[in-house]
This record gives sequence, C-alpha cells and structure tokens, in this order.
Amino acid sequence: MRRGDAADRDLWRHREAAEVRTRDRVTLGLLAGVGIVAVLRLLDWWFRPEHVAQLWLFVALSIAVWYGISRIILGWANYLAIRKPERRDAPEGLSVAIFTTSAPGEPPSMFEKTLAACERIRYPHNTYLLDDTGDPRFHELAERHGAKWLELIGVPGAKAGKINRALEMTKEEFIVVLDPDHIPFPEFLDRVLGYFDSDEIGFVQVSQAYYNQSQSFTAAGAAEQTYGFYGPGQMGLFGHGASVAIGANCTFRRHTLESIGGHGIGLAEDLVTAIRIHAAGWRSVYVPEIVSRGLVPEDLGSYYRQQLKWARGVYEVVFAEMPRLFGKLSWRQRLSYATIGTYYLSGPATLLYLIFPYLFLWAGVQPASMQFEGFLTTAGPVGLMGVIIYLTAQHWLCHPATERGTHWRAASLKAAAWPVFVAGTVLAITRTDIPYIPTAKEAVRGRFLVLASPQLALVALYLLTLVHVVKMRLLTSEGALELSSQAVWGMVGFATVPVLMAIGPIRAAWESTRIQSKQPWRLVDVASIGGDAA
Amino acid sequence: MRRRQRILVVLGILGGIIAGVVVLTATSMEARGPISSLLERSASAFGAIEHAIRRRVTGSARAERLAWLKRDSVEFLKSPNRVLFGAYDDGIPQTLDGVIDLEQQLGTTFSLVHFYTAWGDKPEQQFPLQLATAIWDLGSVPVVTWEPWLDDFESVTHSNLPLRGKRDFHGLSGVARGDYDFYIDEWAKDAARFRHPLFLRFAHEMNDPYRYPWGPQNNSKEEYIAAWKHVVGRFRAAGANNVIWVWSPHVAYEYWDLYYPGAQYVDWIGTGALNYGPIAYWSKWWRFDEIFGQKYPQMSSFGKPIMIAEIGSLAVGGNREEWYRAALDDLVKKHPAVRAILFFNKRNDQTVTSQKIDWTIVGDSTLARTIGAGIRRLSRPMPVDSARR
Repeated sequence: MRRGDAADRDLWRHREAAEVRTRDRVTLGLLAGVGIVAVLRLLDWWFRPEHVAQLWLFVALSIAVWYGISRIILGWANYLAIRKPERRDAPEGLSVAIFTTSAPGEPPSMFEKTLAACERIRYPHNTYLLDDTGDPRFHELAERHGAKWLELIGVPGAKAGKINRALEMTKEEFIVVLDPDHIPFPEFLDRVLGYFDSDEIGFVQVSQAYYNQSQSFTAAGAAEQTYGFYGPGQMGLFGHGASVAIGANCTFRRHTLESIGGHGIGLAEDLVTAIRIHAAGWRSVYVPEIVSRGLVPEDLGSYYRQQLKWARGVYEVVFAEMPRLFGKLSWRQRLSYATIGTYYLSGPATLLYLIFPYLFLWAGVQPASMQFEGFLTTAGPVGLMGVIIYLTAQHWLCHPATERGTHWRAASLKAAAWPVFVAGTVLAITRTDIPYIPTAKEAVRGRFLVLASPQLALVALYLLTLVHVVKMRLLTSEGALELSSQAVWGMVGFATVPVLMAIGPIRAAWESTRIQSKQPWRLVDVASIGGDAA
Repeated sequence: MRRRQRILVVLGILGGIIAGVVVLTATSMEARGPISSLLERSASAFGAIEHAIRRRVTGSARAERLAWLKRDSVEFLKSPNRVLFGAYDDGIPQTLDGVIDLEQQLGTTFSLVHFYTAWGDKPEQQFPLQLATAIWDLGSVPVVTWEPWLDDFESVTHSNLPLRGKRDFHGLSGVARGDYDFYIDEWAKDAARFRHPLFLRFAHEMNDPYRYPWGPQNNSKEEYIAAWKHVVGRFRAAGANNVIWVWSPHVAYEYWDLYYPGAQYVDWIGTGALNYGPIAYWSKWWRFDEIFGQKYPQMSSFGKPIMIAEIGSLAVGGNREEWYRAALDDLVKKHPAVRAILFFNKRNDQTVTSQKIDWTIVGDSTLARTIGAGIRRLSRPMPVDSARR
C-alpha cells in the first residue's frame, strides 16, 4: 500500500473544528492584549518627526506597513469573536434541492463522482444538474445518477444566472449550491439543515476542503491560504454575525434568495449574495465541518486566473454593494465586510515594499530615517505576536492533522500574486470588466517564462543590485563607509526577503510547465466516503 | 457569548495588556534595552568587519598613516609628547568625509576626531558606539563633548525627576545626587565596553551664564564641581578607565578657575578659541593672543596638558591667515602645554547668533597652506614632561 493511501482515505471522513472553550477565549484575549501593546509601542515609535526623511515616501511606506498591521489586528479582533454553533439535528420532512452546474469543457468523469455522491446523501432531496454544455453525455449522466437535468443554454449571468433560472423551475424550500468539483459526504444535509430551525436564518455555509492539495506546490499553497479562513476565520465572522457565503456548498432558504431578487451575479457572486442577505436582515450560520471535498488550482496559471477573478469581484462588492448597503449592516458586519473587501490591497502594498529598498540602493532616496535596530525591536514583537496568535488559532482548523503548519507556501504564493492583485485593483478602479471563467478543474500547462516573469525579473534586479552595491561599497570613501554600513546592508536585507520568497513561486511555475492532469477524482471511491474518523 | 464568558474575555484582554506593558516596557526602562543594545553592538561590529574586508581588498587605509600614534595607551594620551591635531565636522554623525577632506586640504592626518552628543532618552543620545568605532577604525581617537541637557529626558518615563522646564534649576545638584545615574551608568558601561581610549569633555563652558543650562545662571560652582566628581566617580566604578577627562571652561569670563574639580578628577584642560570678528554687537576682531595667549599662564598653572577644543576664525573683519599664523607660530615656545588643537569645521553655526556662520576654510588654498605648514612644524615630538610642571 502506498503511504499516501492512508492519508488520502483520512481526508474522506467527516471532520469538525474543535469546540470553543472559555479558557481558549481567555488565552486568545491575553495574547491579543499583549499584541495590542506591541502594536501601540510600534505606533508610538513609528510616527516620530525625526523618522521622516522624504515626506511623501514616508507616507507611502507608512500606508504599506500600517495596512499590513491593521490586517493583523483585524484578524485578532475576528479571532476574539470565534464561535461554533451548537449542534442541531435536521428535522424530518424538509424539501431540499441540490444545484450543481456544468459548463462547456468540464470533464464528464468528474460529474460521475459528484452526482454519485449526491445520490448517496442520506437526507431526502432532489439533485439538479444545471447544464449548458449541449453535450448529450451530461444528460445521460444525470439520469443515470437520479439527478434532474435542466438544460439552461444561453442564460446570462454565468453560474448565478443558471441558479436563478433554476429557482423559477423548482419548488424546494432549501437550495444547496454545490460546486461540481465538490464531492459531498452522505451526512452533508444532516449536518446543515438543523440550523434553519430559526426563521431568521437565511443561509448555512459549511467548510470548503480539498482533496488534491498534495498534487503540486501551487495546490498546496493555494489550499493553505484557505485553511485559516475556513476554520477560525469564518468562525470569527460567524461570531460577528457576518459569516459569508462562499460559492460552494452553501445552503440557502429559497425565501431568502427570493427576498433579495435571486442569487447575486458577478465575479464574486457569493459575496454579493451574502452581503445582500445580511443587509436584508437575515442571519447566517457557519458550520466549521468538512462534509465535502473539492479541487484547488494545481497550476500557477489557473491560480492566478482564479485570484484575478476574485480580486476584481471582491472590489466590485466594495464599490457597488457596500455604499448602498452599508447603512443596513451592523457595525461588526461592516467591519467584517470591509476587512474582506480590502484583502487584495496587499498587492499594491507588496509592490511598495518591493520598491523601497531599490530606491535607496540605486538612488539613495529613503522614505524614513529609522535606526534599523529600533525597527527590529519595535516591529519584532508585533510580528512575533502575529505568528503566535496565528498558530494558536490553528486549534480551530477543521482538520488540524492535515492543515496545521506555518503555511509558508501560502505566504510565498500570496506575495507572488502581487501583480495579479494590483491588476485586480486597477481593473476595479477603472471599472474594466473581465470575463467570468470557472476556475479550471484540471491542471493546465503554462509557459515558465510567462508564469515566473515577475519573480525572475525580481531575482535579476536583485543580483544586479548586489553587484552595484558591492561596487558602490568599494568606492565609498573611508570616512563614510562604517557609518553607512547599517543602512545599506539593512536595505539589502529588506530586498533579500522577497527574493527568498520568490523561490517558491518559481518552483511552482516550473512545475506548471510539466504538470499533467491526473484527474484526481478518478481515484475517489464514492462508496467509502463519509462517516466519522475512528 | 454568555455573561460569564464575556467578563472572562474582557479580564483576559486586560490581563494581557497589563502583562504586555510590564514585559515590553521593562526593556525600555533603561534608555536602551538589552535587545537594542545587542543589535547596536552587532551593527557596529558588522560595519567594522566590512571596513576590514574593504581594507584587505583596496588597501591604503588611513590608519596606517597614524601608525606612530600610541593610541592604545591611555598614559600616552594623558600626556603626549607632541601636539595632536583633530577636527569636528558637521557631516558627523552621517559621515566622517568632512574631516578627511579637511585634513587632505591641510596635508595632514588628524589624530583626533571631535563630535558632540547630548544627554537624553533617544537612541542617538546613548553611547555613540558606531561613531566611536568608525573613528577608531579610521585610526584616530574620538573626542566626545558630552552635554548634560537634562530636559531631554521624558517626564513620563522618569517620574522621579522634576518636570521638564524646571529641571535645569540646580540641575547639577540632581546629577551629583545620583538622579541621573540610570543614564550615566549605562553610558559609562558602554564606554568601558568600547575598550579603546576616548576623550570626554563633559559639561563644557560651565562658567558662561548665557549659553548652556548647566551654566552659573542655574548652578553654583560647588554644585558643578560636585556633579563633575560624581560623574567621574560613576565612570571609575563602571571600570571605564579608558575615558580621559577634559575639563573645559570658557576662559573669557573671570573666575573660571574656581570651577576646577581637582587634579585627581581632570586629565586635560580644554577651552575654545573662536574669533567671531565684528559680526555681533558683543564681538570684535580678537587676536589669538587676546583669546588664548593672555589666559595661558593661568591655564598652564594646573599642570595638565591643554586642549584647544574649538579653534577657528571667521574671514570678516581682519586677516584670517594672519590670525591662524599667529596661533600656530611659536606655539611650542610660547604655549608648550598645548598638546591638542581641534579645528571647528562647521558650515552653518547658529548656536550664538541668529545668522549662519561658516567656520570652514573651504576654497582658501593659501590659508590651507599656511595652516598645513604650521601643523607640520608643530608635529614634532618634544620632551614628555614639558606639559607638567
């Protein structure tokens, strides 16, 4: 037996995040308290008049740095509200529909597994395949697995458009929107429907987990980026009354969707739908349980395309939905949506971080005149507390055994995606539309030089700069050499960090040139999935 | 969350904040915490290593031209057998290039490099390890004018001190009492750790009532002397025997000699010799002899070597070249106790006048030749004991 087999089978059991005990909250509160003090200390040190070297550059650097720190603080505030809903058994007799959509080019073999798994979901339900492929195989496939086939060719609004059309054609009270790459466990509905016992609940979202993360660096990194969100992240949002819908695996009350004029349309249709539902006064529940597993992009190109789509879409929520709906949200919901809506600003912030050391090393221009040691001793504790709290919160991952870790791949992939995030930001501000393309279900081979170009350019610039610095240091007058040593080599140090982080994406790009789609669903044994781990 | 949980969470946060304040500020109770102190030391060491590597690669180090200087010997530096030259330059602390430019103009290599630093809480007000190391690695000995600006300490972190604005009145009594030992001891420890000799010119011009807060407008001479002895005592207790003490009154005022702390507490007598010319209502063109020469007999009566810590003349109102020639000519014969002369290379001096004064000799090559010749004449060894009576 391959070593991977046991681990793979391990993935296909029902999992749930740990309970939130009072002493956990006290621990988180204590740590966040220490963290806040560290932030205040940095704040007090940072904004001193003698630190300003070039006013405009200092402002830019401050924005980049304090954007990052505010993200850390918002994360802590989120963790403090962490909450797990009390278990509710599903009552008998609810009418439930599962919608899954197929688009041209998607592999039928994948739908075999998805629909077979839907068939095995225990709670009585109807499965609908919303099909616009025009491919007869999909019709045949649906019939074979007892799913109802709805042909919806030419409906505008992509996936959401099809869902809205299907809503008109069906009658069930509850609608599960299931992404077609997701293979649900038999207990899916049993773990979800109980939470609708209160009439105020508009939707119930479960965790999103994957089964192909071991296929490549990209897949591992992209999956790692989501673990925290689907564990303590969404649990915190739930505590704040703002757990959001995430496209896949969300169960809606029909009446709720109708009250907001149907499922939202757009690149971030899930987020649009969630914010509208919250603004209409509905509440939502986040269930930190793994009751299905799906796919994460395996190649770098697909990952970038997915991120561009999300970035552009999330900004659309900020520009189009938030101003309109802001007054109708609670302040905690506002904060939560503002946090989500500004996530992709990390792109421009990363770009600024990248530029500053080179401005200094080539042009001698410096945004701030800070002592390097002063920076280390004030920013160090903030970073340390950030890491400690991040690791502490991993207690509430849905499946800590496979998800826990430093998530360095996630960090390097996020840093590498800055051009994509910047592009998303610019496209959103200029209101330039990009087409809706479903994220690729199968690995797509890419060209190394295209995929890795930002990182290769960075490495080239770095090496060139090193040569320049060494030359410069040989020419520096003896009287200035020692006194400028700290500033110059400190900046070289700052420039080195992104270069080290670029190694991961370069590797991912290289992998993506030779990646082969293994169609990972082929190995999934639908008959054996589900149930609690022994 | 239930009520009990909420209360516990709030208590947790409060506890965390308190713990954080205690833990994180415990390190900043001292002017420089242990971590920043360690980082400062490693940064300084890093700079020294880079300098050493560069010296290997490019050769021609300035230090080689100063090989004759027995700078590791505190004894030698307490009574050198020749006149040591040096300079302050206002490019410090960013660069020492100004000092090197000046010495190249004069055709010499300075043994001493002078700079100023103030008391206070800020990182740049702690022991200037990097600067001192950089000067040492260039081959020279640092001369530090150490100014007790008591008002630069934060009231919040030093609640035992009088409020800012009231601190200078009899402030030197506070120094003598040990109120500032938290700062002095730290500085002394760092100075001892520097290991190499350095000149310390503490609380200079203490007898000028118009310049600095440690002057007689705020303190009696007894308070001054007590403060000086206390500071020297703290340094000795810290094992900073590498520090050479320069007592530096303003000799234009009468009774400056009454501020002398005593032979056991002083290694050098220092003073300034700056000719402002007719730029202000209180000044006129003073000859070097008027500024310094006439005071020399009394200064040399202490039996210590004399340091002219700031020498300079402005160009307006007289013949600058003549002034310098008079200062340097026959110095050994007329003023044999003078063993150190530091040029005051400041471009924008605004300390005593509202206008900016330029003390540099930039662009005056005739003057540079005159001064250079004077330096070379004075750079010959002489009998060791001629400074001491």
